[in-house]
Amino acid sequence: MANFILRKAEPRDVSDILRLIKELAKFEEMEDQVILTEKDLLEDGFGDHPFYHCIVAEVPKQHQSADGHVIVGFAMYYFTYDPWIGKLLYLEDFYVMKEYRGSGIGSEILKKLSETAVRTRCSSMHFIVVEWNKTAIDFYKRRGASDLSLEEGWRLFKIDKQNLLKMTSEERTG
Amino acid sequence: MKITIRPAKPEDCKDIERMIMELAVYEKMPDQVKISHKELERDGFGPNPFYQCLVAEVPEEHMSKDGQTKVGYALFFYTYSTWKGRTVYMEDLYVMPEYRGKGIGKALMATVAKVAKEKHCVRLQLSVLDWNKPSLDFYLAKGAEDLTAKEGWHFLRFHGIALDNLAQEAP
Repeated sequence: MANFILRKAEPRDVSDILRLIKELAKFEEMEDQVILTEKDLLEDGFGDHPFYHCIVAEVPKQHQSADGHVIVGFAMYYFTYDPWIGKLLYLEDFYVMKEYRGSGIGSEILKKLSETAVRTRCSSMHFIVVEWNKTAIDFYKRRGASDLSLEEGWRLFKIDKQNLLKMTSEERTG
Repeated sequence: MKITIRPAKPEDCKDIERMIMELAVYEKMPDQVKISHKELERDGFGPNPFYQCLVAEVPEEHMSKDGQTKVGYALFFYTYSTWKGRTVYMEDLYVMPEYRGKGIGKALMATVAKVAKEKHCVRLQLSVLDWNKPSLDFYLAKGAEDLTAKEGWHFLRFHGIALDNLAQEAP
């Protein structure tokens, strides 16, 4: 199977990162929800205040994909904070192209992330998985992950821009 | 009663620690609190803060039964959605029981929303325990959507020994 290297993403990788983001969203059956652009990724990941960090998996040119790509996997993460235990590493996206699965790329990425977490004094690595994604859940549970939604009852909520704006007009108190 | 909502300062960390513990007791997990005001000071006020915090303060004449004037807090940080971009995650929102019903929670949250708007964040996320009906009602009234129910998202983690084991396998 193909050799690969893992490295920190660079500005020139944003086009590939966006391509892989859309592939993962398609798998999660939510492709139309991706509104992020290459320009956003560039500004938000490589500007003065990076909002995320990214690792990419690259294969040599002779092992490029059917449609000519050498960036075949990625993981996007950032640091969050738990008031009970301190710094955490949050894994936002983690994806390997279908034709490159089974050669250990996913495992290596996960190991590298956990090594980063330990090195930066994070107590824990957190992430979310959609409950029907049995393959992913098994992959993580085999490696010692616990499901906090099942074990402790945590539910994820979102509040969209429209409702956020509504709240800002309620700011005054007295 | 005049209530002030303001960014936290390093000297507020002892009060924030106190309120974090009060919230953990309410969430029935007080033994899970492992950090103190020292870590809060180090991690929230250096050149690279890992969180932002707002404090709700009342004047001295309205201090609590046990003499506190800092009566609520909101702790949040910036995250990133590969679909939408910049997001705010509100990790904790808490108001001491004797100060509820005065709009403090609403004001704290509105200030977080204002910060989110200023930083061009498109969404605010948070998590709630499934039995916590008062909080569920509070957020749903503000337009929150339960993504665990709607889309099936679950929180997972690698913690403690599980994380160390995984890291030790790294080449």
